[in-house]
Amino acid sequence: MNQIVEISLWQLFLGLFFILIAQIASFVHHLGLNRDITVGTVRTFAQLFLMGYALTFIFQLENLWLTLGIFVIMAVSASFIVRGRVKEKQVSYMLPTFVTMFISYFVTALFVTSLVIGIAPWWEPRYFLPIGGMVIGNSMSALAIALERLFREMRQQKGLIETRLCLGANYKEASSEMFKNAVTAGMIPSINAMMGVGLVFIPGMMSGQILAGADPLQAIRYQIIIMLMLVGSTAMTSIISILIVRKRCFGRGEELLLSISDK
Amino acid sequence: MPVLLEIESLGFSYENAYSPVFSELNLSVEQGEFVVVKGASGTGKSTLLRLVCRLQAYEEGRILFKQRRIESYKPAELRRSIIYVAQIPSMIDTNVKENLLFPFSFAVNGSKVEPRDARLTEMLEQFYLQDISLLHQARNLSVGQQQRIALMRALLLDPEILLLDEPTSALDAKSASMVFSIVEHLNVKQGKTIIMVTHSSRKPSTISPVEYLLEDSKLRKL
Repeated sequence: MNQIVEISLWQLFLGLFFILIAQIASFVHHLGLNRDITVGTVRTFAQLFLMGYALTFIFQLENLWLTLGIFVIMAVSASFIVRGRVKEKQVSYMLPTFVTMFISYFVTALFVTSLVIGIAPWWEPRYFLPIGGMVIGNSMSALAIALERLFREMRQQKGLIETRLCLGANYKEASSEMFKNAVTAGMIPSINAMMGVGLVFIPGMMSGQILAGADPLQAIRYQIIIMLMLVGSTAMTSIISILIVRKRCFGRGEELLLSISDK
Repeated sequence: MPVLLEIESLGFSYENAYSPVFSELNLSVEQGEFVVVKGASGTGKSTLLRLVCRLQAYEEGRILFKQRRIESYKPAELRRSIIYVAQIPSMIDTNVKENLLFPFSFAVNGSKVEPRDARLTEMLEQFYLQDISLLHQARNLSVGQQQRIALMRALLLDPEILLLDEPTSALDAKSASMVFSIVEHLNVKQGKTIIMVTHSSRKPSTISPVEYLLEDSKLRKL
């Protein structure tokens, strides 16, 4: 049972049956999704095959700088995705966000590979990149939610923030709830995931390991580490980024720079 | 009386605006003075007050408070001494007492002693709010009542200058009259320095304020 059942190309193409169902449904109900479904399918095949070949190459090469280079590319891409989701023009948040993301992702991935899993070298690409990818993927979403919430609340509560400033509050005192709400909003999905894991859903990584023939009791250990790691990295990234970005929402006179209408 | 606030050659423009809001604007306010700045809507009256308490940053000229540039004070210290009361009062979602006392939780006000309930109730009466209890939900009050609570809140911190932004514009005649009466009392009896901007032609009844007209980016004494 520990042998992985290989999927041939023919079997892989059988999976297109599900796409056929979606295409027919879109056509019959005039959903206008046929083109998007087609493009999405082609991209799924192309991107994942490309990634598979790239990972095979990287795993064989086992080069520290190549591994770190790919990690940097992943972090940079994540910060651009965050920028795409958070439409904010008045406050520049890209650089501090990227630096925070990179440092917290790196520290988390390093901690897990070197101390928790204990592999040598710590940057072994077969472990470091997938773990880094999971950290980046989850924290990126959390950060986007937290940033979006921060900017929205700071705008909505501009009157209250300015009232506090006018009565002697410093910028931290004037925006304390907005900070708290933003960080909480970013962290709730990973905390909820810990509540539901194993009851409501079987996580993708654990399913993948089990399908690949791993012992479920080993798979859950990895999954527990991943869940804990994701909460930690999400907390670290959200708190540090929101602290820095909140400061940037205020000018030198601690005046709120965000206007109510302009984004 | 010594000069408390001086504005020298102030220049300020909004981004992408054709003409500046202020250009070479000057103003000198003595301690205990009651200054009224008039002007049509959109001439920058509120902006002028916001620049004085650093809610916005100016580009040219300088603003001095007690002979020192306002930038030399910590923002929180400056704003505790020069309190701006906005046109639309902002209340936190709790009762009147907490709305009056929350500024005492700020670090800069740490040395100030919170007034007791009896003192607050007495002040409510002075502000024509005798029907309001300290446990009343602040957001359920009328705008006029909230405006007076906002004034009370500012005064509890004993500022040196009060900046009042159209304090009566959103009020009915009766409430406006009450606010005017309070403001006059603050100036005459307590010696508070007050700068009030308004587009209304209404004047305080018991005192003669120093009046300016804000027009064409400059202040002109009336």
